[in-house]
Amino acid sequence: MQPTSSMNEEFLKKWQMGLQIFRPSIDNTSVHERKKAIKLSADVAMASLRKGTTCWSRALIEKTATEDNFLVRQMLSGIKAESLINKKLPKKIVCHRKIVRRSKKILRRKSKSASEEAAAKAKRLVKRRTQGLRNVVPGGELMSNDVLLLQETLDYIVSLQTQVNVMRSIVDAAEAEIER
Amino acid sequence: MDLTGGFGARSSGVGPGREPIGLESLHLGDEFRQLVTTLPPENAGGSFTALLELPPTQAVELLHFTDSSSSQAAAVTGIGGEIAPPLHSFGGTLAFPSNSVLMERAARFSVIATEQQNGNISGETPTSSVPSNSSANLDRVKTEPGETDSSQRLISDSAIENQIPCPNQNNRNGKRKDFEKKGKSSTKKNKSSEENEKLPYVHVRARRGQATDSHSLAERARREKINARMKLLQELVPGCDKIQGTALVLDEIINHVQSLQRQVEMLSMRLAAVNPRIDFNLDTILASENGSLMDGSFNGTPMQLAWPHQAIETEQSFHHRQLPPPPTQQWPFDGLNQPVWGREEDQADGNDNSNLMAVSENVMVASANLHPNQVKMELISYKIHIRFEAMELDDQINIFCVETSNPSAVTKSEYPSCRCPRLE
Repeated sequence: MQPTSSMNEEFLKKWQMGLQIFRPSIDNTSVHERKKAIKLSADVAMASLRKGTTCWSRALIEKTATEDNFLVRQMLSGIKAESLINKKLPKKIVCHRKIVRRSKKILRRKSKSASEEAAAKAKRLVKRRTQGLRNVVPGGELMSNDVLLLQETLDYIVSLQTQVNVMRSIVDAAEAEIER
Repeated sequence: MDLTGGFGARSSGVGPGREPIGLESLHLGDEFRQLVTTLPPENAGGSFTALLELPPTQAVELLHFTDSSSSQAAAVTGIGGEIAPPLHSFGGTLAFPSNSVLMERAARFSVIATEQQNGNISGETPTSSVPSNSSANLDRVKTEPGETDSSQRLISDSAIENQIPCPNQNNRNGKRKDFEKKGKSSTKKNKSSEENEKLPYVHVRARRGQATDSHSLAERARREKINARMKLLQELVPGCDKIQGTALVLDEIINHVQSLQRQVEMLSMRLAAVNPRIDFNLDTILASENGSLMDGSFNGTPMQLAWPHQAIETEQSFHHRQLPPPPTQQWPFDGLNQPVWGREEDQADGNDNSNLMAVSENVMVASANLHPNQVKMELISYKIHIRFEAMELDDQINIFCVETSNPSAVTKSEYPSCRCPRLE
């Protein structure tokens, strides 16, 4: 599952489109604003590669849409931006705090043997890591399913690698251009 | 007895004696079934010896018969555990001696197990640490993992053996006997009622075992799915395939994702710092980088340096929209561009005219209170100015410079009438 060149192309096209939308504001603004614009457009380009089929891309689009709705709308004009933005993400599961506390108490009450203790420890470690992964992957909090989370992470990593590859080559070329 | 040697070799890893008979009897007809039923019912191993005590010709015939169908037989023995169901069904219907013993045992175990559990619930609840009634049973199971676990395992074993008798029972016999001793001591009094309730209990037990089994099956399937994804992720994340342990792998994955995100951040920062007008450079970069970045498919497209000619509408449409056409054409776009215009005024008003949007903005503001002729002149000059800017990275700039000495000619020749009908 390595990023393919067609993905690179697609990403570059989308990204360029986003940059052109942004161009007037990129010119003659502070570096930070430019950077933000570049990053936003790159993110939206990456997310739009998946055309809303994955959870993370939808979450990412939603996140960028809160920051810059117009850009997202313009960039996604090809693929029904409305439906993408308004597409329902899975609902976050909310537990009653009292119930959670009580169940934790019950869990603590049970005495365990050494092996069980170790297993529980390992499980806790994995759980914490999974939670960390949820925080890292956009929209991860909405994925209640571990299998889904890992799948989305896979896809997200591939897309990120595409993004990084293309951006790096562009940056290298641009810097070479400046030096020349 | 070379025959026994051959037989032993074939049935190695499977139970003794009884096994080949079952196989043969599967393949043979009723005549052999009669032979089997006439076997002495003393012990399990005796069946094979009984077979050997048959008239030699008959025995050889039987063995050869199995040899002729040995492909099937070998396949079955190769599978090992899965030979069992047909065998057992056969044994059950024929009241085969060893199997009947097995049946009896299995049934007793299950009943014993259930009774022991009943004892746990009824008799031994006072000893459990938690007095609450509902959780007593659970706590009991948890507090004495050794005994109850073994009993549970035996329950499941017996439940399985009721349907699928294991071929290598001899290994388990010791364990089972131990348990028999244990169980008998606790359940002597109920032995009479045991016999009546045997079958229903077995049934219920089996069903319950199956239920938990399907549950664990689903769990296992889920775990396998997760493991497969993990493996893929391990392949994807560099330097992660040597790490053991889910937590560490997850750690590595998180690190990788974060590093990628940071890289994106860093790269966009670099790109922002390198040049203030990225998209223009992007075109030239594309032109120069096409070979290295893409695999040639971009070369054919008119992406490079072609944009002033309006040849491409798909990717460059934004470009064109933002080049300032005369105000009369600008107005229809206004509704579309409203957010951008608003934003532009905030950011670009104070700047000099190098910003294209600011330029067009100024043109429009100026055109509001100027004489038509003046507007025309201003527009032309602005247009040239803007064109200059837009083309400053192009190779054609020299040619363009020559042409701009006559502004009206430029506007007429370079840009089609659709763009600026008023200017003529």
